[in-house]
Amino acid sequence: MAAELVGTEVAAQTVEIAIKSQLGMKALGAGMAVGLTGIGAGIAEMAIGSAAVGATAENKDVFGLVLILTVIPETIVIFGLVVALVLWFV
Amino acid sequence: MPAITGGPGPYIYVCTRMRVRKAKLIQKDEYQRMLNMSLPEITRIIGETAYKQEIDELATSFKGIDLIEVALSWNLAKEYQKILEITPGTLKQFTRSYLRRWDIQNVLTILRGKTQGIKHGKIKEILIPAGSLGRAMLDKLIAEDSVDRIIEALRGERMYPVLAAKIGEAKEIGSFSKMENELYRQFYADVIAEAKSGIKGGELYLSFIRLDIDVMNIKTLFRLRADTFEEDPHEMFIAGGVLTVNDFVRLNVIKDHGEFIDALRMKVKQKTLVSFLDELKEKKKVHDIEMSLTRVQLDQMERMSKLHPFSVHPILVYLEKKKYEVFNLRALARGKESKLASERISEHLVM
Repeated sequence: MAAELVGTEVAAQTVEIAIKSQLGMKALGAGMAVGLTGIGAGIAEMAIGSAAVGATAENKDVFGLVLILTVIPETIVIFGLVVALVLWFV
Repeated sequence: MPAITGGPGPYIYVCTRMRVRKAKLIQKDEYQRMLNMSLPEITRIIGETAYKQEIDELATSFKGIDLIEVALSWNLAKEYQKILEITPGTLKQFTRSYLRRWDIQNVLTILRGKTQGIKHGKIKEILIPAGSLGRAMLDKLIAEDSVDRIIEALRGERMYPVLAAKIGEAKEIGSFSKMENELYRQFYADVIAEAKSGIKGGELYLSFIRLDIDVMNIKTLFRLRADTFEEDPHEMFIAGGVLTVNDFVRLNVIKDHGEFIDALRMKVKQKTLVSFLDELKEKKKVHDIEMSLTRVQLDQMERMSKLHPFSVHPILVYLEKKKYEVFNLRALARGKESKLASERISEHLVM
């Protein structure tokens, strides 16, 4: 009888640990999705931004155009955020 | 010179600026239009482009061909100094060393002007202070009353040892040509040493310089072939390119044109130069060959700058293209002033 009770307790604890670690992995995945895409966007924007500032320094008329080009890599972060939200809530 | 830290941002910034500036240079069709214009019309067109500020500033002091000449020189010098200002780190070092060739040109112009008794103002008009010797230093050199004092005033400059060693001979023979050859040989030796000194980006700089040396040596070979009097090829050769001094001397003694082209073709490795030599099987005038070679060189430099878009190449390509734009406008203006036919002037344009 006592052995059966111990077995049930261990099984309950194992399920709880499994659920908690699943949640932890989800949080880690969501964090990585946003963080890594942020780093990727930063790297891409470094090059585009430098070129954009260079082009604007020579010709101020292109400012609007280069501003749009500079923020295009931001879309990667949006993808990352969507993946994070899907992981967390779905 | 401190190396650039914090990633490739500064390279991308400056190379993009060079690309935009290059796109603003006068295009082939504009030169074609200018060929059909008179000198005042050309001045007006130039005054509406990048040369506006100089034309406006100088219009009260100069007119006609003099106005164009001085405005072009001032603009070229200003442009080069501006590029030196905006280039970062090692790129600045390479650009500065590349621009040192203008010091040689300026000093030789002053020496030649002085020996021929040309007025100070006239000498000053044709100087292009784009190198390390600034306008103030060049003014000081012009103000000196003898060639020896000019050379003494250059003590401490890189070119001083060659100037001091060669001035005696130059005075004796009444020509600065040997001194000029030696100065350029020293210039290229210095530039190669700098490129090989282990600085980041040095290899790419070296490839650019090697192409320049190859083209110069090939041009010299064609000039030597066209010359009626004998000159020592050893003095004309510039080391550092694909040709060795022995190759150069051997190529110089080949009399048959076809044989010479074939032998040169075997030595040259650049594809564009090889295909250029293939087209030279028929004999052409030296001037035409030189102009074609310059065009080939610029095309090859352009190709190199596209292969390495964030290196020293886009900067050097722009420096070269700007130089040829000024040469073209000067040739156009001078041609129009001398009432030459448009076809004749166009032969002197690098388009």
